[in-house]
Amino acid sequence: MTKKRGLGVGSMFYGIGYGFNRADIGSAYIEMADDGTTTVYSGACDMGQGIMTVVAQVAAEVVGAHIDTIRVVAADTTSTPDAGPTSGSRATFVQGIAVHEAASDLHDQLMQTAAGMFECEKDELEAHNGDVYLKGANAPIASLAEVAARVHLLGGRCASWGWHDNSTADVDPETSQGDAYASYGWATQLAEVEVDTETGHVKVLKIVSATDAGKAINPVAVEGQIQGGAAMGVGYALYEQHILDQGVPRTDSMAFYLVPTSMDVPEIQCEIVEVFDPKGPFGAKGIAEPATVPTTPAILNAIYDAIGIRITDTPATPERVFQAIQEARARGEFED
Amino acid sequence: MAQPEQVTSAAQSGPYDWIGSSVPKVDALDKALGITQYVGDMQMPGMLHARIRWSGVPHAVIRGIDTSDAEKVPGVRAVLTAGDIPGVNRYGLAVQDQRVLADDKVRSAADPVALVAAETEQAAEEAINKIKLDLEPLRPVLSIEDALDPTAPAIHEGGNLFARTTVRKGDLDQGVRDSDVIVETTYRTHLMDHMAMETESSLAYMDPTGVLTIITSTQYPYRDRRQIAPALNLSMNKVRVVQAPIGGGFGRKDDITSEIHAGLLALKTHRPVRLIYTRQDSLIANTKRHPMLMKFRTGARSDGRLTFVDADIYGDTGAYLSLGAFVIKKAGIHACGPYDVPNIRVDTHTLYTNNLSSGAMRGFGVLQAAMAHESQMDQLAHRLGISPIDIRLINTLKPGLATGTGQVMDEGCGIEATVLRIKEYMESHDLRFARS
Repeated sequence: MTKKRGLGVGSMFYGIGYGFNRADIGSAYIEMADDGTTTVYSGACDMGQGIMTVVAQVAAEVVGAHIDTIRVVAADTTSTPDAGPTSGSRATFVQGIAVHEAASDLHDQLMQTAAGMFECEKDELEAHNGDVYLKGANAPIASLAEVAARVHLLGGRCASWGWHDNSTADVDPETSQGDAYASYGWATQLAEVEVDTETGHVKVLKIVSATDAGKAINPVAVEGQIQGGAAMGVGYALYEQHILDQGVPRTDSMAFYLVPTSMDVPEIQCEIVEVFDPKGPFGAKGIAEPATVPTTPAILNAIYDAIGIRITDTPATPERVFQAIQEARARGEFED
Repeated sequence: MAQPEQVTSAAQSGPYDWIGSSVPKVDALDKALGITQYVGDMQMPGMLHARIRWSGVPHAVIRGIDTSDAEKVPGVRAVLTAGDIPGVNRYGLAVQDQRVLADDKVRSAADPVALVAAETEQAAEEAINKIKLDLEPLRPVLSIEDALDPTAPAIHEGGNLFARTTVRKGDLDQGVRDSDVIVETTYRTHLMDHMAMETESSLAYMDPTGVLTIITSTQYPYRDRRQIAPALNLSMNKVRVVQAPIGGGFGRKDDITSEIHAGLLALKTHRPVRLIYTRQDSLIANTKRHPMLMKFRTGARSDGRLTFVDADIYGDTGAYLSLGAFVIKKAGIHACGPYDVPNIRVDTHTLYTNNLSSGAMRGFGVLQAAMAHESQMDQLAHRLGISPIDIRLINTLKPGLATGTGQVMDEGCGIEATVLRIKEYMESHDLRFARS
């Protein structure tokens, strides 16, 4: 039998945000127009992962608006405040709280005005999907649009901003002891591989990714991160290598620098784990990097499980795996 | 911040209206329909096209750059070298070791030495190929081992070892004495490219109010502005950076990529300038994922409990630091994995070489560390006859236990839950390890 199957797991933790006493801030402006539509000016860049959507969801939830009435303006030095970079799996964790702060304050202003309109205390009111309710009631007493129009008519402030500082002190310079990060992401992946012992080719058959999102604000977006992270991990483990010859890249085209294609990326089973994080917005935390870190060790451990050989250098190319098999054969340590 | 209200109101169907709901991404429909305008889709009247000439050699003294033939190419409107930079020809995220355009030396094959702006991309391409570089080769530093060699030339002032960090906990000797099994292995990881679908791209123009506006594929406009303004000798409030819709970043676009170059050409030509990297440019230039050499020794008792981790991590940050020292420090802080380890010695070393630079990339050093600590865990499991799942469950951090750097976990510690989820998946799908 030239093809051997194996299973491997990889676990990891990942410090979310910057650490090391580096500025780790989120900030956003928010305003509601007379017609009840809301604009969030959010400094966080969206690279496709979905922070603009998370910002819209947090704003809609906290203001009590409908998601379709939220517009997000992102990452422009002229219109949005500085929210730090989108990196370090920090955007949801840090910017989510800044937007929560801004939206809470706007919500309070709206409820204060509504309380005046209906001669009650603002704590007796709540808002959902663009309507204002007496708490616990089934029928709304007004729309947010009516309340917003009232605020503007009275010359009130229908705008706010929120800011959040996630910076942490640096660790001890001699021992690195200390609270290095505000929080950590957690993930474990299982990989199933098939190794062709005649060619050294490793085929990944399946990945199961158990990634702790704290609270998945948008589960499909979390799955997108998990899928993309695992696919990128397959590339790192098996294919993608920049080869330099005397410092000069020889893999300067996609003909030589190989990325996984749809033929190489296996079925990826997304297992979203939700362990509430008390420091995150609604218990949420970042998953961008945790979603890719465990893939490579899971694949390397699965290769060992399949053929009994530990690959210690990445990537596990067919040449490298085949050579390791041949060396084991020469030592009489390989079971064909 | 206030804790979220958990009480379900009559007006709600669940605890939340929108949190936990898979609403379509706000930008999904436009992307699916092809409406989204990336920088590569943007056009402006009078817009010029830019290209960059890279050094192509890893280490050399620049004796001269002859641009005369390039300037004669029809349609060329500017050919710029270091002397054309109006401000400070230095930038960088942690230390300012990068040049907008190479001046004294070439430190990597990806050093930008000249810029061209032309009426067409073809003219710009022709012109960069007609720039003649007179370079005097220097001995290059091409590996971690080279960088550790005291006789190797210093790439920057201060030598090739940029930083060393140390993690210390407990008593390593005691950990060794407590061990029933010790595994020792050296791991090596490779240079990886981010390979975002969209390459680096910027469109720069002077707006009607005299603000240099740069629409760009970035992960952080404010930090870009912080680096663009001094290089171009502009005040920061006269530089506007706008993030365009971008086709992937993965850490690469944390750094300055095309922004200063596009802005410089727009200033010099008084025309809008669009700079879009070819795939080849993107593979050559800017930051990659750090290659690391990691020597690990890990011990455990016969019951599977970890006794110590003893490791040296060497990271090749290439010719420029970018965030390299933070990446490699983070690798050290995560070197023991999500486990309760009583005795630790980890040293990290951030090294300059004349290779392509590495910086932030999805995982930020933790991926390399995990490759090593997880391989060690499985080696221990096999030596002890414990399953890979069980050895993790025995050692995972839990609320009240502390990380390798002494941080005590609260109830948000989810590692055990993720291992258990995998265990349940294996059991429910009748999946078994072949060797344990």
